[in-house]
Amino acid sequence: MNASFEATAPELEPAQQGLSREVLPHTPVSRIIDGLIQRIGEFSAWLWPLLMLVIIVNVVSRYVFSQGFIELEELQWHIYSAGFLIALSYALLRDSHVRVDLFRERFSFRTQAWVELGGMLLLLGPFIGLLLYYSIPYVIDSWDMNEASSAPGGLSHRWIIKSALPLGLGLLLLAALSRLTRLLAFLFASEVRHADQ
Amino acid sequence: MPINEMLAIGMFAAFILLIFTGFPIAWALGGVAIAFTGLAMLSDNYLDTFIAIDWSYTSLAIDRIWGTMSSWVLVAIPMFVFMGQMLDRSGMAEKLMLNVSRLFGRLNGGTAIAVVIIGLLLAASTGIVGASVALLTLLAVPVMLKREYQPELAVGTVCAVGTLGILMPPSIMLVMMADQLAMSVGDLFMGAVFPSALLGVVFVLYIVVRGWMRPDIAPAGDDAEPVSLGIILDALKSILPPAFLILAVLGSIFAGIATPTEASGVGAFGATLLALANKRLNLQVMREVCRETSLTTAFIFALLIGATAFSLVLRGLGGDEMIADALHGLPFGPHGVVICILLLTFLLGFVLDWIEITLIILPLVAPVIHALGFDIVWFTVLFAVCLQTSFLTPPVGFSLFYCKGVAPPSIGVKTLYKGVAPFILLQATVLAIIFLWPDLVTWLPAQAYSGQ
Amino acid sequence: ADKIRWKMQAAYGSNLPALGDTIPGVLDDLREATDNRIIIKHFEPNKLVPTLNITDAVRTGKLEAGYTWIGYDQGKIPSSTLFSAVPFGMEPWEYMAWWYDGDGQKLAEEIYEKNNVHPVLCGLTGPETGGWFNKEIKSLDDIDGLKIRYAGIGGRILQELGASVTVLPGGEIFQALEKGAIDASEFSLPTVDQKLGFYEVAKYNYFPGWHQPFAAFHLIVNKDKWDAISDADKTMINLACQASVTRNLASAEAYQGKAIEFMKSKGAETRELPEPVLRELQEVTKKVLKKEADQDEDFARVLKSQQAFQAQYQEWQDLGYLPRDF
Ligand code: NA
Ligand code: NA
Repeated sequence: MNASFEATAPELEPAQQGLSREVLPHTPVSRIIDGLIQRIGEFSAWLWPLLMLVIIVNVVSRYVFSQGFIELEELQWHIYSAGFLIALSYALLRDSHVRVDLFRERFSFRTQAWVELGGMLLLLGPFIGLLLYYSIPYVIDSWDMNEASSAPGGLSHRWIIKSALPLGLGLLLLAALSRLTRLLAFLFASEVRHADQ
Repeated sequence: MPINEMLAIGMFAAFILLIFTGFPIAWALGGVAIAFTGLAMLSDNYLDTFIAIDWSYTSLAIDRIWGTMSSWVLVAIPMFVFMGQMLDRSGMAEKLMLNVSRLFGRLNGGTAIAVVIIGLLLAASTGIVGASVALLTLLAVPVMLKREYQPELAVGTVCAVGTLGILMPPSIMLVMMADQLAMSVGDLFMGAVFPSALLGVVFVLYIVVRGWMRPDIAPAGDDAEPVSLGIILDALKSILPPAFLILAVLGSIFAGIATPTEASGVGAFGATLLALANKRLNLQVMREVCRETSLTTAFIFALLIGATAFSLVLRGLGGDEMIADALHGLPFGPHGVVICILLLTFLLGFVLDWIEITLIILPLVAPVIHALGFDIVWFTVLFAVCLQTSFLTPPVGFSLFYCKGVAPPSIGVKTLYKGVAPFILLQATVLAIIFLWPDLVTWLPAQAYSGQ
Repeated sequence: ADKIRWKMQAAYGSNLPALGDTIPGVLDDLREATDNRIIIKHFEPNKLVPTLNITDAVRTGKLEAGYTWIGYDQGKIPSSTLFSAVPFGMEPWEYMAWWYDGDGQKLAEEIYEKNNVHPVLCGLTGPETGGWFNKEIKSLDDIDGLKIRYAGIGGRILQELGASVTVLPGGEIFQALEKGAIDASEFSLPTVDQKLGFYEVAKYNYFPGWHQPFAAFHLIVNKDKWDAISDADKTMINLACQASVTRNLASAEAYQGKAIEFMKSKGAETRELPEPVLRELQEVTKKVLKKEADQDEDFARVLKSQQAFQAQYQEWQDLGYLPRDF
């Protein structure tokens, strides 16, 4: 064994298989939406080190200064839930949602595109649509009732964190819409074969 | 069979069929939930049934997602992911590989044994299976192939060992299970310590025995230097950082200094410091770690969202009563029921992975286990060991995918399948041992409650 | 008459004595008394929605009914805590008197119906224990800096006295208590605490349950669904719940002594909070309740009604009953 592997960090990503964002052509709509989602996704990823710091501060204050803060404890799950909800759309953009590639790899790109189109319209669309539809009154109610944490010293204005739900779902639906236009462009505008970048 | 039960079975069938289209599993789960809500409504309207679920019922998924959002325990998941990603980039694993394998260089199967030891250390300090398998494959498989190991043994070892991270605490799988069953994460972590260590021991024994019986499949490196004090010291030095992390994370949980969530944050912080100390930390690395944490967390929680809707509709269709009745009706006695559940889990593991099984199947069977009077920590650890095999069982085995993704091109699917087969048997053996000696699981958590 | 088919989720598992095992009996009674016309399907906690969201789900009609401790609604309906448990508040039969013969029921219906929910008092127990402690409380100083898991308004009161309050989830309490991440935690009735094994992880079981001398539980029904059923059916449900209140109080009172004995035999030491500590807690309680009342009109109204009722009841309690130490 030699030391050569110490030189560079290993590339951990398995090779991207199947119809991915690299293969699909962009559309005017997708360019705008994807840019937006990309930026929001990259920005929101900084929530994780922030969460880490909040936990550290909380731990230190509890064990070193014997002072617990319910605000900080609650802030932890506020950050975490905003983080994972916003990341849903980013993960769609980046093809990160888990799928079973077993048969998919053997389908032609055209078939894969049809399958994905169907899935978007019949599975993801209705599901996220229903959640989004019902999540909006969920937030409005919280706003109307001036909902606060019931924990002593807990955070107030609960509608803010609850808003992360329709926000995350809305972005997800947007990302799906962008993907949809790219799939349609791939399937029906056959002269454009590859993504321009 | 009543219509609601037919629909419940239909849900499972539709889901399994849909995942093979290659559409993301999370949305397949959610989409099936919506479709079967619609079917149940149609049935109530036209077939005079009384299933009584509708869109507003299915929208309870929102309340359930809120439950996930406000969960204190699940905060640990992104933090453990962050920790794993950071460790990957900290250079710790490479140093371990370099120094530990020199220690075993002169032994038959030495490199493979080093892989198991490194895998155990990685598993106990973090445990993102994909990362561990990929890393071990990249670092160790070429070396083993160069030493003319049997390729099957080489890839089987890295796949099986890389999978240990999901069982060995800290483990996001155990965090998820504790959340599903409203159990203590600490209890589950403690319960899983001996079983996962036992798996490591069994793997080493297997490699030693095979290497001794057939030296040609795992030859010692003739290029290997003799073990000197310097080599031993180097190895010890490279073990220190992970040992320190393990102490910080697991130690603080077991000693009660920190809750698992706090420990996850401390671990993430520790890994960041480690990267800093190894001069691997810069803005670029931080950005990558954050991004990968977002992507991994997103796919886990997407599955959680899909599965919560799926479970809700399944429950509305009476699916959980149906399964409970079926399990209670089995003519094998209580232990037979457990065996049946584990067998079913093993079989489901061929096509599903741990997240779906944990989210959908575990809450269905746990009340039955409870009613039969078994220790729920014991059962959950058994379940977890069983789920570990799902990473290795084709066609949907994520360790296989990760290994294949980065292995040298000479490693074919057949080699992989043949390679992991003995390790699946070893895992089944350990499962049987835990089944027969529950103390392996229950002893350690019980120690927590013994002293007053 | 029309069939009633409702889904109802409970806040407590039906395995928990006097806490979760009451409501299944109510539902059985309703089904049997109406020859299967009224069937309310019982779901265990968290099966459909998280426990804290039961009222939300009922309010929005996603569930027809729920059985819960409405104090969980505190974050949205601050006065709910007064209907469910009040520190230094009424004793159970006193609450019953206020609910049925005072303004209690009227006020609760008024406030909850604004939120599209109809509440029916359907369960009632006496005090919880004062909590499980690994540190002794001899004076107020011992509360200052105490790391304690305490939910609701009781937690706010302890916080005023310098305690470091957290609200750990149920599953984490044991380990945290055993390992010293927290010093103390409240939970429930002695019979429930016994079942959950608190005596294994904490040394002292403190009394009295100053933070909730009574605990009331309600069957909450979506207002539209409630309005849609016949008067006869409403009466039927009311009767079943009134019977349940009686039976619940009886079963909750029946076995606590035994449970305490059992836990003592397992090494749990029972302790009483010293009177000066209780007095101070009561003072702070008044302050905290006043603060709440200043912030919420409904809270003020209900508190005023309760205090007026308690004042007139006090006369009778002092004169009619034997002093406590007889
Ligand atoms: Na692990
Ligand atoms: Na599998």
